[in-house]
Amino acid sequence: MLELRLVQGSLLKKVLESIKELVNDANFDCSSTGFSLQAMDSSHVALVALLLRSEGFEHYRCDRNLSMGMNLNNMAKMLKCAGNDDIITIKADDGSDTVTFMFESPTQDKISDFEMKLMDIDSEHLGIPEAEYHAIVRMPSAEFARICKDLSSIGDTVVIAVSKEGVKFSTKGDIGSANIVCRQNTTVDKPEEATVIEMNEPVALQFALRYMNSFTKATPLSSSVTISLSNELPVVVEYKIAEMGYVRFYLAPKIEEDEEETKPQV
Amino acid sequence: MGIKGLTKLLADNAPTSMKENKFETYFGRKIAVDASMSIYQFLIVVGRSGAEMLTNEAGEVTSHLQGMFSRTIRLLEAGMKPVYVFDGKPPDMKNQELKKRLSRRAEAEEGLSVAIEADNKEDIEKFSKRTVKVTKQHNEDCKKLLRLMGVPVVEAPSEAEAQCAALCKAGKVYAVASEDMDSLTFGAPKFLRHLMDPSSKKVPVMEFDIAKILAELDLTMDQFIDLCILSGCDYCDNIRGIGGLTALKLIRQHGSIENILENLNKDRYQIADDWPYQEARRLFKEPLVSTDDEELNLKWSPPDEEGLITFLVNENGFSSDRVTRAIEKIKAAKNKSSQGRLESFFKPTANPSVPIKRKESKCMLRSFKPAIDHKMSSLQISNSSRSMIFGKLRMPIYNVGSELSVPLSRGVCFGA
Repeated sequence: MLELRLVQGSLLKKVLESIKELVNDANFDCSSTGFSLQAMDSSHVALVALLLRSEGFEHYRCDRNLSMGMNLNNMAKMLKCAGNDDIITIKADDGSDTVTFMFESPTQDKISDFEMKLMDIDSEHLGIPEAEYHAIVRMPSAEFARICKDLSSIGDTVVIAVSKEGVKFSTKGDIGSANIVCRQNTTVDKPEEATVIEMNEPVALQFALRYMNSFTKATPLSSSVTISLSNELPVVVEYKIAEMGYVRFYLAPKIEEDEEETKPQV
Repeated sequence: MGIKGLTKLLADNAPTSMKENKFETYFGRKIAVDASMSIYQFLIVVGRSGAEMLTNEAGEVTSHLQGMFSRTIRLLEAGMKPVYVFDGKPPDMKNQELKKRLSRRAEAEEGLSVAIEADNKEDIEKFSKRTVKVTKQHNEDCKKLLRLMGVPVVEAPSEAEAQCAALCKAGKVYAVASEDMDSLTFGAPKFLRHLMDPSSKKVPVMEFDIAKILAELDLTMDQFIDLCILSGCDYCDNIRGIGGLTALKLIRQHGSIENILENLNKDRYQIADDWPYQEARRLFKEPLVSTDDEELNLKWSPPDEEGLITFLVNENGFSSDRVTRAIEKIKAAKNKSSQGRLESFFKPTANPSVPIKRKESKCMLRSFKPAIDHKMSSLQISNSSRSMIFGKLRMPIYNVGSELSVPLSRGVCFGA
């Protein structure tokens, strides 16, 4: 038996919009601590990890750890039918092969039930080790989205380099090249407009812009984004969901050919 | 060819060991391809109409080059790193099988001449396909082409499938691509079918995982080899009246061919006194393969543009435009193969949640020990390259539930 009531239903709508481009089908895991999801894109280059903690729900009941396989596009279709101010309740019975989304209008004069078929999804779960990152950049999410969009009109790979100067995003393409440097800036009116750079070691990593652009679909979830980088580790792009949890995207870096030669062939 | 009825046997008895994947999911993977098998396929299908085939000005067949060139580019474009393994000298045990194939070919040739006389188009095509033979020249042509393309070539001392499996076991490649189920008997940890099919066929790649096969059939590798020999392999005849399913039953009951022979009803089943199953078993277990690190140092290099144009355009009558465009594709593909995969950084764990929707599949818990053993060994291989990184990290893998059931069996192999 599972019943999760989320007053701010628009959050779930936004979450779905942010991940459905990257992942087609995924298992939502439900435990007493929260509602979560971990899924890789089909090419196993990027991973999305979602957590909505139980405290963030108005009512949260989950008797045992359960996973529900859903087609994210279909789920998004159903959630689109919910109004932005609607309260969304997710319900499922043990052994059932459907999940129900209930939408209540704020004035309680309209209640809709949408029932969706669940699927068997053979997904692989990855253990993500806690890592100390070499550099952590927090910046306005809209700014990051803009940079990714602009750069992808020039090239298909972005180099993200953090140094004492700040964080530099650069790309090269057939028509030319582009460099964007963002400096630490904490003298702003609102804290979410700040750019904060913590660096233990300089880092420079290369990523496919296609994926970065897909991550920025989560921009409506949070006004700031945190980018954590370490050499030879996937980057983490995190959008915090106020008082509830986060959407984190992991992306494997591109590896230079000659660098690879020095490593044992695996 | 291969093991009789093994695909069906596995589909019925070890369904989770085979998985259909999209072609694209193999990007960044190093894959050992059984070259002889591919060349044979190309000669049968590429550019054929009736008994006519693609030829150069001198009238020599070029279907194999055409096929090898375009399919290899397809692999490269998808970001894969293929290495082609060529057959060496077949083991003596295979002579009988080869003789059979020879006589079948002779029959087909007769059929072909009859069909040509009768001008029966369907039969001409049918029989001419059966007369296809991969010659030494075809192999040499393809090796030359691949080297010019910057794709590594390995010459196996004996059977190519065995060498492919050895490369995969050594962690030098992620998987073996062939159509010959022998590869599994040789112990290739991961085996792909339909990887080399033309894109127009839109067949998904079928991936077999030997660890899961053994776990689900509840057999050891030695028993699996015995099962393959009993089902019928290239090296010796099987026992008349025993097919795959009976073989599986017998192996489960008795454990080995020796025990089966002791217990089998000799009146019902005719077994030759000199049935060379032990020899066949030895060929599967300890095939002649090269383990020379120098030779197996696989390197993918940029294509030799001039060389390719001379070889394909000038010597074999390919269109110069097409070759130039193809070379551009090879160069562009280089960039794609540099994308890392998440599995090189994060290791699979089991998910503690139980699917709310009950699965129809049953009792997968049964003896998945071999699967875990296998996981451990491949862990070591892959970790050796990353141990440096993980040294810095605390690695609390969450989600190690205690009473996991289904999801554990999905632990994946992430060697290469």
